[in-house]
Amino acid sequence: MKRILATIVWIVIACTGALALGAIAFHRGEPLNATWFVLAAACFYCVAYRLYSAFIAAKLLALDNTRATPCERRDDGRDFVPTNKWVLFGHHFAAIAGPGPLVGPTLAAQFGYLPGTLWLIAGAAFAGCVQDFVILFCSIRRDGKTLGQMAREEVSERGGFLAQVAVLAIMIILLGVVALVVVNALKSSPWATFTLAMTIPIGLLLGVYLRYFRPGRVMEASAIGVSLVLFVVVAGQWVADSPALAKVFTLSGIALAFAIIAYGFAASSLPVWLLLAPRDYLSAFIKAGAMFSLAAGILLVRPQVLMPPLTRFIDGNGPVFAGKIFPFCFITIACGAISGFHSLISSGTTPKMIQREGHARFIGYGAMLLESFVGVMAMVAACAMPPGVYFAINSPASIVGATPEAAAQTISSWGYPLTAQTMTGLAHAVGEQTLLNRAGGAPSLAVGMAQIFSNSIGGERLLSIWYHFAIMFEALFILTVLDAGTRVGRFMVQELGGRVWKPLGRMNWLPAILLSSAIIVGAWGFFLYQGVIDPLGGINSLWPLFGISNQLLAAVALVVATTILLKMDRLKWIWVTLLPMTWLVVVTMSGSYEKIFSANPRIGFLAGANALAAQIAAGKIPAAKIAETQRLIFNQRLDAAVTAALAGMILVLIVEAAVQWYTILGRKREPVLCETPYVATQWAEGD
Amino acid sequence: MRYAWQKVKCASWRTWQGLREWSGDAAYEKYVASASRGGSKKVLSPTEFYVEQLNRRYSRPNRCC
Repeated sequence: MKRILATIVWIVIACTGALALGAIAFHRGEPLNATWFVLAAACFYCVAYRLYSAFIAAKLLALDNTRATPCERRDDGRDFVPTNKWVLFGHHFAAIAGPGPLVGPTLAAQFGYLPGTLWLIAGAAFAGCVQDFVILFCSIRRDGKTLGQMAREEVSERGGFLAQVAVLAIMIILLGVVALVVVNALKSSPWATFTLAMTIPIGLLLGVYLRYFRPGRVMEASAIGVSLVLFVVVAGQWVADSPALAKVFTLSGIALAFAIIAYGFAASSLPVWLLLAPRDYLSAFIKAGAMFSLAAGILLVRPQVLMPPLTRFIDGNGPVFAGKIFPFCFITIACGAISGFHSLISSGTTPKMIQREGHARFIGYGAMLLESFVGVMAMVAACAMPPGVYFAINSPASIVGATPEAAAQTISSWGYPLTAQTMTGLAHAVGEQTLLNRAGGAPSLAVGMAQIFSNSIGGERLLSIWYHFAIMFEALFILTVLDAGTRVGRFMVQELGGRVWKPLGRMNWLPAILLSSAIIVGAWGFFLYQGVIDPLGGINSLWPLFGISNQLLAAVALVVATTILLKMDRLKWIWVTLLPMTWLVVVTMSGSYEKIFSANPRIGFLAGANALAAQIAAGKIPAAKIAETQRLIFNQRLDAAVTAALAGMILVLIVEAAVQWYTILGRKREPVLCETPYVATQWAEGD
Repeated sequence: MRYAWQKVKCASWRTWQGLREWSGDAAYEKYVASASRGGSKKVLSPTEFYVEQLNRRYSRPNRCC
């Protein structure tokens, strides 16, 4: 009876999901209610978790709960700590959820709501979750080894080295791009800049409190910190209203870029307890609160989605970023559907804390589903605003013009009605001087979130507070990724550099710390500066570069997973990892090819550089701007070289893996699986 | 009624403990328990443990994009 009831419930969930997906896909004309998006995503995720992840757990991985996990065998109370599966789910989700699933879908909304939403839902279920789950499983079976170590042992020495270099390169690009998102969100906004700047002294205060007064009392310190942060969000309005103070906190893009570079250097060099860790705690609590509030707000307000299912920009001439729906929609969505960076978390802390192999399904597959849900919510928030407003905020001045009148005229001519009064009124309502040309996704997402929040609590009166709360939330946790990433990058530079010059590898030697911090900050700072001076806003060229590199890392993870599964004799089910891997390779290689060789100067780096060079040769560039233009030409060529290098590295790794697969399938050599030997668990079933 | 109250109390306690574990508040207690099980001679003080734990955590990728 119970079984029949369960079957009926699952049939109802599946039918509801299918109906909601049908509504999203085939609805035309009148605006669609956001509830359909929530329903479609939630039902699809439930069915995918119930059926597909169970299939992977049983058939492909054959999870074994009788096998002792690393934390049982090596419990040291530090790295290897047995952790309740719900708590570990929270840890894992907090680690994988970054700005990507918020920014990516917001940018991809330029194609309309349909392609991005479908890829978010299907990509997560069939690719992103699979990657996270399988890599977590592989790492559990190898005492929590990292992706690089597994690549070295299971694929080849060279494969491991390439994975390590790819991680460092991706980290540099990632940090440069996320820093650019912050710059574009804070530019000319004294309120937002003041709020974010104040989180630094608050972080320092908490650092001292946690180190000297109440060691390790994270929750009470965070409660103090969150209260202070909420206070400075409100206080930001007083700063913006005071002409003298507003002047101090009104910064240009270049000034903000240098401020963030200096911050990154400080956070990487200072003791971790002083600034980095307390800000991370603050960010984790605010992130969890803001995401929960957004979900609740969407369910409460049930906004209408005003963006059409498909826009005219699927042809590749979008103002937010150039490029056709294939492959650029998949590259732009990035972490909301699949993220290579997750494989570093799945092969980092989580496998060392998991109590049972069986929990890997809930934590690896389940946490990624939740991340994808965050992406769907970001898509809803971006598409709930009038399309004209969305394009005005996200398009660079060189395309839509720098004044409200010019932007309104250009965007209305595309078929998305917009008046200059709408933009000035909206900017005034959120307490900003202007919302035009704020590329990067963060401001438009903040406007969408603020509208949803203010419709739930406070109405129009609180719109400006909600907007700046949303900006602070986005910028705070982007900076957390930035400072934590810079520090990890510093360790990687020290590790790699230590092979060339030994003293650089000494982790406690101050000159080595300062030098390696300067190298890593200089590297991502270069990409940041390049984005700030780019007349197209930087996001146009850098976000696709980030998407490509991140998904190439996902391809590396799936190559390693496929090799391990082949060694485990799982040929029958190998399509589970092989198909997403093939799809990723096709998407990223086509994306790389287009970014390097496309004849359209807005897409191809080389065409862009050549177009600028031709303008100089034809004397169309004023003498004062020639040096700046030459710098842009250099940047475009460098971007082309970086893209080619990343794609080349991954191709070499795939060839290495293909040789391994040929050897395994041809039975030319007995496959060597580097798993930890089986040890039976001593824990009772219910532990 | 009493049974339901007990259930609510138990669930609240477990949620609170889960939150403490998630935030890191309970990390030192877990470390001390593990050290006593393993018979460690030198157990770190709360401050030493806090700093050492942060240094380890932030030396590898722990925040994603």
